[in-house]
Amino acid sequence: MNLSFAGCGFLGIYHVGVACCFRKYAPHLLLDKISGASAGAIAACCLICDLPIGDMTSDVLRVCTEARSRSLGAFSPSFNIHRLLLENLEKFLPEDAHVRCTGKLHVSLTRMHDGKNVVMSQFDSREELIQALLASAFIPIFSGLIPPKFKGVRYMDGGYSDNLPTLDENTITVSPFCGESDICPRDDSSQLFHINIANTSIELSKHNMYRIVRILFPPRPEVLSNMCKQGFDDALRFLHRNNLINCTRCLAVQSTFVVSETLDEDLEYDPQCKECKLHRQEALVSNVPESVLSKFQEAIDKANHGLLHWLFKHRGMKLLSVLTLPYTLPADVMYATFTKFRTYSTNRGSLIVYRDSARYDFVNFIGEIYESKSYELGLRGNAVLIPPYFSCSRHLCTRRFMVAAPQMGNGVWELSKVFMDKLSYLLNKINRKRQQLSAKITCQLAITEYDKYDVESCQDLKSENKMNLNFTLKLEDSDLPLTQSPVRRFKTKEILQRKPSFTVNRTDTLDNDTFDHILQVTSQHDTIMAYYYLDENNKVKVTEIFDVSNSDSPIVQTSHEKLANRNLEFDDNWQDEIDADWNGQDSNSADGASQYDIDEILDREPIFSDPESEWTGSFKIDEPEEFCSADDHRPESERPRQEKFEQEQKEKVAA
Amino acid sequence: MRLLNKLFLFFAIPCLNAVSRVYCAVVITVLSWVSPNWLSWNKYSESMLRSLEKRILSIVKTPHKGFFVDIGPVVGPADKIWTISLNVESPKTPLVLLHGLGAGVALWCLNLDAFANTRPVYAIDLLGFGRSSRPNFSTNSQEAEQQLVRAVEEWRKELKLKEFILLGHSMGGFLAASYALSYPDQVKHLILADPWGFPERPTEYKEVPLWIKTIAYVMKPFNPLAGIRAAGPLGPWFINRIRPDISRKYALALDDSKLITDYIYQCNCQNPSGESAFHAMMSDFGWAKNPMVNRIDKLKPEVPITLLYGSRSWIDHSASDIIKEKRMKSFFKLQVVTGAGHHVYADKPEAFNQIVLDACQSVDSLINSDDSNVQYVEESDEPESDSKQ
Repeated sequence: MNLSFAGCGFLGIYHVGVACCFRKYAPHLLLDKISGASAGAIAACCLICDLPIGDMTSDVLRVCTEARSRSLGAFSPSFNIHRLLLENLEKFLPEDAHVRCTGKLHVSLTRMHDGKNVVMSQFDSREELIQALLASAFIPIFSGLIPPKFKGVRYMDGGYSDNLPTLDENTITVSPFCGESDICPRDDSSQLFHINIANTSIELSKHNMYRIVRILFPPRPEVLSNMCKQGFDDALRFLHRNNLINCTRCLAVQSTFVVSETLDEDLEYDPQCKECKLHRQEALVSNVPESVLSKFQEAIDKANHGLLHWLFKHRGMKLLSVLTLPYTLPADVMYATFTKFRTYSTNRGSLIVYRDSARYDFVNFIGEIYESKSYELGLRGNAVLIPPYFSCSRHLCTRRFMVAAPQMGNGVWELSKVFMDKLSYLLNKINRKRQQLSAKITCQLAITEYDKYDVESCQDLKSENKMNLNFTLKLEDSDLPLTQSPVRRFKTKEILQRKPSFTVNRTDTLDNDTFDHILQVTSQHDTIMAYYYLDENNKVKVTEIFDVSNSDSPIVQTSHEKLANRNLEFDDNWQDEIDADWNGQDSNSADGASQYDIDEILDREPIFSDPESEWTGSFKIDEPEEFCSADDHRPESERPRQEKFEQEQKEKVAA
Repeated sequence: MRLLNKLFLFFAIPCLNAVSRVYCAVVITVLSWVSPNWLSWNKYSESMLRSLEKRILSIVKTPHKGFFVDIGPVVGPADKIWTISLNVESPKTPLVLLHGLGAGVALWCLNLDAFANTRPVYAIDLLGFGRSSRPNFSTNSQEAEQQLVRAVEEWRKELKLKEFILLGHSMGGFLAASYALSYPDQVKHLILADPWGFPERPTEYKEVPLWIKTIAYVMKPFNPLAGIRAAGPLGPWFINRIRPDISRKYALALDDSKLITDYIYQCNCQNPSGESAFHAMMSDFGWAKNPMVNRIDKLKPEVPITLLYGSRSWIDHSASDIIKEKRMKSFFKLQVVTGAGHHVYADKPEAFNQIVLDACQSVDSLINSDDSNVQYVEESDEPESDSKQ
């Protein structure tokens, strides 16, 4: 079964909810092709690249709050959705995103010159993938004037031609508008009229009218949170209605081949599995994962605090901000023109140029002082909130720094900053030597601030990086141009590249969605067992069972489980060691130990064949620990017998 | 002059909600501007509708006959109902098809062959729709409903059909159920395909912003498809813009995808009397004033019901549970067609035809068993076992 996500602008938060549910309860549905347009394409890409949902959420929320902070919303000239998306995609997508997405991700685009729909699924590089996603989300005039190029042709938002690309008959369609889609909100209003725009069916109800407006005007974080929950619930309802929820421990991945034509295409599962039933019941009452909810709470709190919000809570203030629009708008427009000019001048060719320009901007002296200032501010406030990537932190910091300043002041201030940036950029272009000089200065600044750490030793740095995100950030900012040897530079880059993966892990441990690993497990491991059988409808059914306990990927298991499993692993290794070393030294104990091991392995084997009894007792985990701890106290010859005795007892109890 | 009079009349009345009345006046004037009398804004022509219908129905392989049935003064002075008949020689129980809002007989083109293979089939344009005559219906919801139902009954009398299987889609489903309530003896089986007007309007709403309510209020007095008529010559283009999916459903069978759009436009750009009747039966954007779930228990238990839904349809499926509950003792079968939307007969024609034919088959077997003096009650137990869900 394929998935298809509708394009929907800021309503993309609905897709986050749906993605959450699929990750949690039906990861096997994510193995096939996923298509989408605009925001849907980005959601599809995130799902394929296995990005943590928490990050996706905070990402969407950040863009929304960014848009809401302006008096004209997303339509403010200085709000550059294109750049925000670019930054976020650059930041979060893994290096091999294009490899993962090729053939799986299908992005719907509208060709600029003839308005025809094009579905892309071949991406040669990460830049190309990002470019395709951006093109798919490009609304002319709203996002910019010149549509982006992809493989030499200019494209715009896929929503103009095919907003809900379906690849075949068995496509599950996801749309945040109530209408004729598999997963969509069900409104309690209209019962008759609906329209079909660009393949997305939209019922003409009051709620849909509200949603349509919210495509480009992001609502409050509270409303976004509700939309996300709605997505989760709708997806869950769909999965439940179609019996697509399976249990994860026995992880039966089922495929069906239709031998002869049958009407019924529903996937069926083994109805006997108790755990599946339990899982389904649990799913019925479940809610959006805590990790996502916490992100929402954060955003809501952030929106409801601060001086600006307090001021603008009052209607009078709102009116005032609208009335002063004629005065603030020109400044905003001016500022926007400058920033746009800057981005275009650097962004025209490729994304690499954009990155370089960011670096140039950074290197200049004035910019540096400003950055370090705002950075310090951020540090004092809340260290965790600062994202690791420079460009984004700059964003956040400027917001934070000027949260109390009125919009007008913002514009002027940023304008002057941009002007200075521009000037220094030009200077840099003229004189490259000077640029290097200034770079040195910045780095020294960094050292004096953090004299505790030794920049020279890279090993130390690595370990510090892990613990202190802020420090990494600083490093990346300065980009260490003072280390002139290419080797050193490479190493720092390595650190930088590794860093996002670190944050991913961190959020994952916070996440409760332990189910995305199933995908990983199925792709990495062989099955323990597979049944092939022909049912009465002439369908060949395949059920594959995977062993989850042995996969050592960190996200598959909780830290506790992992520890236990590692102990088990040591046990196995230990036996080899015994065979190699101990055999010659002490034959008695070696015999005993090896015998024990065989017994233990025999005991362990039913784990796979009998999934229900497998995880009930903790004795499997306890054994090796006891065994290891007993190493010091007891004579070795006694151990196995004791163990065996205990096992026998337990078996008796179990019987 | 007439117009001025009208406006004056409204202003003269000292009323409580003056604003809403002024608004009504504006709406009426706007409607009178776009009415066909004035400069022929819309492009309706009887001959065009006829030729379009003929071309669409040319894909039906079974020989068919189209004719007007004169049902006399039911609503207007002399009402006619446009009828398509197929395979009338067959002795089996005939199948009668009632279309949905804004549709016509031609939209059944993907299903007629399959139905006509086994039995006589009659498809009609409901009074006030398609090519049938368009008298002005009552503005009272119950009266309008009764008028529409009585037109069907008169039509049946005119054709001298003793009993038949009644299949209705969307609004046609509502009317079919209403017909079965009034004349249960004629209906051997009631097949409802994604019927409209069954669930009750929920008492509590999710709150929407004020400006949405304002828009909704402004839209209220308009007929559902007024936009198509207001678009005038752009109507077909407009339909194609907002509902490209309809012509796409027929793309496999029909070479010219414009046919369906044009046909729908021609059906709906005439005097919208049937639509007004529907508007009268409806309250607040698509809910029925007299929802069918409240009345379905009054239906004679002998009438078997097959309920069909498209799995993607936005029609509220909750009504099916209530019907099932209320009709414990009689035949009730629920079928959900996966992958189909509201237009289930065009989305998945094969699956739809199969379900309908199965239902018809059960009627045939019932009649045979009646001949052999087996009591009906016995039969009613059997279907319950195979009813889904």
